[in-house]
Amino acid sequence: MISYLASIGVTIGIYALLALGINVAWGLTGMINLGMAGFFALGAYASAIATTSGELPILIGVVLGFIFAAGGGLLLAAITFRLRGDYLAIITLGFSESVRLFMTNEIWLTRGPDGISDIPGPLRGELTPRDFNLLYLGLMIVVLIVVVILLRNLANGPYGRALRAIRDDDVVAAVAGKPVGRLRLEAFALGAGLLGLAGALFGHYHSYIAPDMFLPLITIYIFLALTAGGPGNMLGAVLGAALVVAVLEGTRFVHDVIPGLSIVQVAAVREITVGLLLILALRFRPRGLVPERPARSSELGLSTPRRNR
Amino acid sequence: MTRRLTMKRRQLLATGAIGAGALTMPRLALAQSDGPIMLGTLTPLTGVGGTYGPSMRDAVAGVIDSVNSAGGVLGRQIELVSEDTQTNPEAAVRAARKLVDVDGVSAVIGTWASSVTTAVAPVCWEGGVMVYTVSGSDSITQLPHEGYIIRTQPNSQLQIEVAAQFMVDQGATRVAWIGPQTPFAESSIAILGDVAGEGGASMDSLIYEADRTSYRSEVDQIMTGDPDFLMLGGYAADSTVLLRDLFQAGYEGKIIGPAYAVNASVLDALPNDVVEGLFTWEGTPDVTSGAYARVQEILGVDVVDPYSAQTYDHANLAILAMAAAGSSTGADMRGGVRTISQGDGEIIDNAVDGLAILADGGSVNYNGASGPCDFTRIGDITGTQFLFRQIQDGQPVDFETV
Amino acid sequence: MELIPQLLVNGVLYGSLLALPAIGFTTIFAVLRFPNFSVASIATLGAFAGWVANVPLGLPILVAVVAAFVISGIVGVLADDIVLRPMRPYGALTTAIASIALTVVLENMIRFGFGNDLRGYDLPLVRDWRFLGIRVGPQQLENLVLATIIMVLLFVFLRYGRFGKAMRAVADNPQLAALKGIPSGTVTRLAIFIAMGLVGVGGILQGLGTAIDPLTGFRFILSIFAAAVVGGLGSIPGAVLGAFVIGIGQELSLVILDPTYKSAVGFLAILVVLIFRPEGLLGEKRQ
Repeated sequence: MISYLASIGVTIGIYALLALGINVAWGLTGMINLGMAGFFALGAYASAIATTSGELPILIGVVLGFIFAAGGGLLLAAITFRLRGDYLAIITLGFSESVRLFMTNEIWLTRGPDGISDIPGPLRGELTPRDFNLLYLGLMIVVLIVVVILLRNLANGPYGRALRAIRDDDVVAAVAGKPVGRLRLEAFALGAGLLGLAGALFGHYHSYIAPDMFLPLITIYIFLALTAGGPGNMLGAVLGAALVVAVLEGTRFVHDVIPGLSIVQVAAVREITVGLLLILALRFRPRGLVPERPARSSELGLSTPRRNR
Repeated sequence: MTRRLTMKRRQLLATGAIGAGALTMPRLALAQSDGPIMLGTLTPLTGVGGTYGPSMRDAVAGVIDSVNSAGGVLGRQIELVSEDTQTNPEAAVRAARKLVDVDGVSAVIGTWASSVTTAVAPVCWEGGVMVYTVSGSDSITQLPHEGYIIRTQPNSQLQIEVAAQFMVDQGATRVAWIGPQTPFAESSIAILGDVAGEGGASMDSLIYEADRTSYRSEVDQIMTGDPDFLMLGGYAADSTVLLRDLFQAGYEGKIIGPAYAVNASVLDALPNDVVEGLFTWEGTPDVTSGAYARVQEILGVDVVDPYSAQTYDHANLAILAMAAAGSSTGADMRGGVRTISQGDGEIIDNAVDGLAILADGGSVNYNGASGPCDFTRIGDITGTQFLFRQIQDGQPVDFETV
Repeated sequence: MELIPQLLVNGVLYGSLLALPAIGFTTIFAVLRFPNFSVASIATLGAFAGWVANVPLGLPILVAVVAAFVISGIVGVLADDIVLRPMRPYGALTTAIASIALTVVLENMIRFGFGNDLRGYDLPLVRDWRFLGIRVGPQQLENLVLATIIMVLLFVFLRYGRFGKAMRAVADNPQLAALKGIPSGTVTRLAIFIAMGLVGVGGILQGLGTAIDPLTGFRFILSIFAAAVVGGLGSIPGAVLGAFVIGIGQELSLVILDPTYKSAVGFLAILVVLIFRPEGLLGEKRQ
């Protein structure tokens, strides 16, 4: 039971990092990344390959995971630089799929659909499964606290103000002399890097990764986490992640409650629940469960970005 | 200051919520020693494998029902918990942890995709729980599992060797392999190439992208080599598309596909002309066995897919292993399983009969719906017979057994 | 190399299947200015609506195509009214995310009702015709003809009908259109109905050549997005051109690229177009 709860805690931590990564781009600058699965995979593979075939220490692998994903994000954002956000959304979707194809087919590097097993984890094997789970949960919490603090300082500092100004009205921000373009690229790359970081930690925890672990469905889980927790809000992202994992895990226990449904129907009900919750969260809590404290730039109470031209 | 406080309150709320969740979780693992014995299925109910998972689960449920109505095992009833892998290792790992840590299952039955099995196996063996799998990838039984993995699916190397030999024996001179990128794709091509070479046949291959809606151009490409015998390497959805495209392209040669890919739902979905003369092969579900008939009855179908036949066997093997070991822990069942799956005991084909014999102090050898169910030290199945069938008028007709 | 003419033909046939849903996707973008990702499950819905008409009800395929159009159109309008419209004040990207959630909900409602089994239409399958060594499937040709007829009708309807003018007015400037007395709500709904209807027809046409399951729409959705972006988001002729570019590109890619990378062709096409002609092949220049 303790291992189960600890492993749920780790999953929440991973989802929270993903939500924070999306948050940097979406909640702060209004840029959308629908290719979450791709950056998640990129980070996981970079770190896994570095620490297995490359025999590098885990810490270096994790850093590489961040760098690779951030680099990918920078590239995509640069290409859609002058276009409406919709283009970035679609291109990130395509990117994600292409990453999955690459991981599936470049067997010499990624071992293909077999996946990479035996990815090292800190003290794995020397600890009992329970202690390993608890240790990893502890590490996860430390990483989250560090990331949240860094992002908070960033968000509340001049940098964050500039990002929010861009989100709320990029024309005004540009007139006010903010380097709109550079800031957006940086924010998007930072967000993508956090997705990669989450991927790296995911791989070292599970000790195994394969291309079909990074499916696009995770995108809506994370957007649910983010919306429920409040876009633009760091702590909210963590709470939102806990909510999503609670829903995902909780619906397992609903099995016995609804009799007469085939097992496929139960699975369908779970996904319908997640989808509906996201729709409701977007509809009724566009500012999330934990709203960002009133920001001067957002009159009208619209915290989510208006259309970017 | 107030901000600090509210943060604290929120954190409290969050911990409270998790705590409350834990309290409402039914059947804590504590119940293990006197409540019902838990068995878990972990099959793909959604995702690519979603076509197979539900009946795999139903076959297990049927076994448990019959054992329960005959009085259970070790004096206890058996309860089934079913989880969905979503054909996704990440979701499957979460599901496996729940089965192992919360439900306290004695065995996890029916993992299908090789990547899923590879991902969940460590969770299971670290938690002292056996895994019964239908995954074919060679690498699975080579994991350091210390006896916790039992696989009823012949490994892919054996499967391909047998089918390749069949193709050569049927007079193939230009063989070709066409399928998606899977853990077996490259080894299948290599093995087929070797066997074809020894038989004096030429060899061609094409790996395509899974889950496309048309393979017209891929078919054109493979047909430039004018093959006379094609081996399919995919699953149900892409094989359906591919078979139509081959038919439309006027391909006249022979085709062979694994029975899990050319299954009843594929035969239903395709017009008869398209699949006429097609060969399928599988580690033979022993269609003449009583076990097979029972699976037919449980599922209410004429043709049992090999995976459901195998999970039926998994459930029987797990239950008999408990009885033989006198314990429902995975660690004990590891030893128990080989004492009832092979050897000189009385041949039985269901757990209820076996439990009666074991209770009388006899020994048993379980032969199931998927075959004789004998296992090597690392958990690979041996002695599997392969059944080749040919589709005639939309129905599979037995061709030969090897 | 000797395959190239055949691959071109295959590409044209495949492109014609992408064209209708791409038109639907781009039309909604033109009118409402957001990418509606729920086209994935609406395509699946069309395929299933047609299947119900064709197999359990025993109706001919043409009727099934009409059923796919009507049902998809109606569900598309309802879903938009209930789910997406209230989202629009929050911005295009919020609405886009909601449409992803919507597509998951719809896909799983179909799964809830029909399960995961593959289903085939009641349709005789015949061998391809061959002309000069090039093969063409009668079914694929029929699809091409059907798609072309629908596209021509749509073009005439939008170009010369009153609705087309109204739709363009609403797309260009909703406020101005309202001032001119154009009922923008009705025009928008009708546009969504037609667009989603076309997506549904795309779904069933795709299904006729294969077999359908709840993932049918999802399997070709990236190609549809790619077609719309390559042609220029919001441009109907662009979507048609984009569909053929993507269709032909994917098939021709076999000559130089591993077939396992087919889906990546759409992504590559988007990259190339966005780098060299960001507004898309036929998209209007935006500031």
